[in-house]
Amino acid sequence: MQSTLQSRQDRRRNLSSWLLSLPTLIWLTCFFLIPYLIVIIYSFLSPDIYDVKFEVSLDAYRQIFSGDYLRPFLLSFRLAIYTTLLCILLGFPVAYFIARSKEKTRNLLLIFIIIPFWTNLIIRIFSWRIFLAYNGVMNDTLINLGIISQPLEILRTDLAVILVMVYVYLPYMILPLYSVLEKLDFTLLNAAMDLGANEVKAFFRITLPLAVEGIFAGTLLVFIPALGAYLIPQLVGNQQSLYVGQVITYKIKNIPRNWPMASALSLTLLLLVAILLLLMYGLYRRHQKRSQWQ
Amino acid sequence: MDDIILENLSKDFGSFRAVDNVNLVIKSGELFSFLGPSGCGKTTLLRMIAGFELPSSGAVRLGSKDISDLPPYKREVNTIFQNYSLFPHMTLFDNVAFGLKVKRIHKKEIRDRVYEMLNLVKMADQAGKYPNQISGGQKQRIAIARALINKPSVLLLDEPLAALDLKLRQHMLIELMNIHDAVGITFIYVTHDQSEAMSISDRLAVMNQGQIVQSGPPDDIYERPASIFSAYFIGETNFISGVVTAVHEDYLELDCQDGSDRSFSIDSSFQSAPEPGSRITLSLRPEKIAIARNKPRYQEDINMLKGQIEDILYLGTHTQYIVRVGKLKFRVFSQHKRVYFDDKALDWEDNVWLFWHDTDTWVVDMAGDETPDADLNESGNLQRYVKRGKS
Repeated sequence: MQSTLQSRQDRRRNLSSWLLSLPTLIWLTCFFLIPYLIVIIYSFLSPDIYDVKFEVSLDAYRQIFSGDYLRPFLLSFRLAIYTTLLCILLGFPVAYFIARSKEKTRNLLLIFIIIPFWTNLIIRIFSWRIFLAYNGVMNDTLINLGIISQPLEILRTDLAVILVMVYVYLPYMILPLYSVLEKLDFTLLNAAMDLGANEVKAFFRITLPLAVEGIFAGTLLVFIPALGAYLIPQLVGNQQSLYVGQVITYKIKNIPRNWPMASALSLTLLLLVAILLLLMYGLYRRHQKRSQWQ
Repeated sequence: MDDIILENLSKDFGSFRAVDNVNLVIKSGELFSFLGPSGCGKTTLLRMIAGFELPSSGAVRLGSKDISDLPPYKREVNTIFQNYSLFPHMTLFDNVAFGLKVKRIHKKEIRDRVYEMLNLVKMADQAGKYPNQISGGQKQRIAIARALINKPSVLLLDEPLAALDLKLRQHMLIELMNIHDAVGITFIYVTHDQSEAMSISDRLAVMNQGQIVQSGPPDDIYERPASIFSAYFIGETNFISGVVTAVHEDYLELDCQDGSDRSFSIDSSFQSAPEPGSRITLSLRPEKIAIARNKPRYQEDINMLKGQIEDILYLGTHTQYIVRVGKLKFRVFSQHKRVYFDDKALDWEDNVWLFWHDTDTWVVDMAGDETPDADLNESGNLQRYVKRGKS
């Protein structure tokens, strides 16, 4: 008797939760699942000048696995790794400083971190172009100060790409780092120093291990978008080193178009990201298992 | 083994003087307590000995060495923190081993010494657990083991039992004393709990508003408080204040401004007699007063007062009577003795006699400026004084 009542309640609860998630499900099906299915189907078709021929072909994958597109992938990985590492190195001290500030200053500093989000990304990248250009603000200033005699050619180099990438993605690293450091009990550092650890040892044995979760989260937020970066390399990079994102775009933009190739490249990138995510998840689980305190 | 010497030690936080010109010698091997209300500067004092705060002026010495400016990791001093501050991401073994690991000592030796410490605190079988898997009392033991493994000259304990419940606190207190005896180093203990400080310490210092009000062995401070603050903060007491009208050889007359001249014998062997005309305050511990229905037989060295019971609080181990004597109120603690059970029990409104030995009347204040007002005595406590303290 009671069990039937309970199961009826369960069923009702199930039904209502389905109803509640229906709009999201429809949205995701229309704009996520179906487009991906189209991409998967396209990757197995043959290219035509503007569209695709409906003939099954594995040419795109064959080309990818024969290594024709190794360079863009390597470039993208290098960019993602550099960006992530620099974001950790630059973001950690900032997050630490904010976490240790007084409450009022802390909120103010967090607002400063968030303010760039209020300006459109493209506008921010263009302002970097103005800043870094051959006759731009930076070169003018440095020449006027007499530090350099010739303008530096930074715009349209890989350095410029990394610079702007770090600028754009730094907040995504600082915020998760801040959220773990803010919870860190700083008397633990006192305890470590009391027991004979100097500042450096206390940092590596206490602060860093306790901030691992923030580093994980920040890395996810920075590394994955950096891998597929298109806009920044396109606007401040050069055409000699093309990143995966750019190659995919060109396959669709330039005529003759190659939809299957673009689709196959996208899926390969997706696969690599998925493998990476799994690896990181595995690492994270191992870290969690080792420290049952969480 | 060296003494800890505090010389003219002061610490300012902005315009607030947390520690005010403290001079003290804590002998090697001693179990010394700092006792005071929160905000009295005792924790700041401890943090200066540990090295977490630098003195604004004065010095901290360990024997002949001035350690005032040394960072915490270069001092032979270890601390047990109020909330233990165990490292949550390390096992208990690694927590205890921390001090040795940062010194890059050989693994085999680390293992041996960690287990030696874990055995001392009876936690060896739990070495693989994490701090969040053990109880408060066990965390306390691990904190002790972790602090002692470096073989410090001095162990600092910052309210180490505050987070434990009463029974466990009593148990850990005894264990702390045993550990102190076992390792034989100086323990400096900070607490606001007077019973903890009284029971554990060889000597203790009562602190108020950044200064040491009185220091000495617990019984000395309890029986012979040097100031109103000491008498008030440690234990419970009755204050009697008034103007001295006459000083006789073995007693003095006091005008308590309650309409009657009262005569009190005070113990003159410990204290110098006050001048006639000066305003003084006496302290009289409630348990020193005897209470009876019948007038006691006259004795030279006994003080007697006639009063009326206003309130009775039964407290198990003893009963507290509030007795009104003219305008004054006295608190009296009386134990229940089976031999008196034939007597009719004392009741509200009963007329009773209070009497006590003259050595139990103790002058705590001769200057008079700290004297609680008569109307405060009227309400049976020291509200004005409490407000003036920084608690």
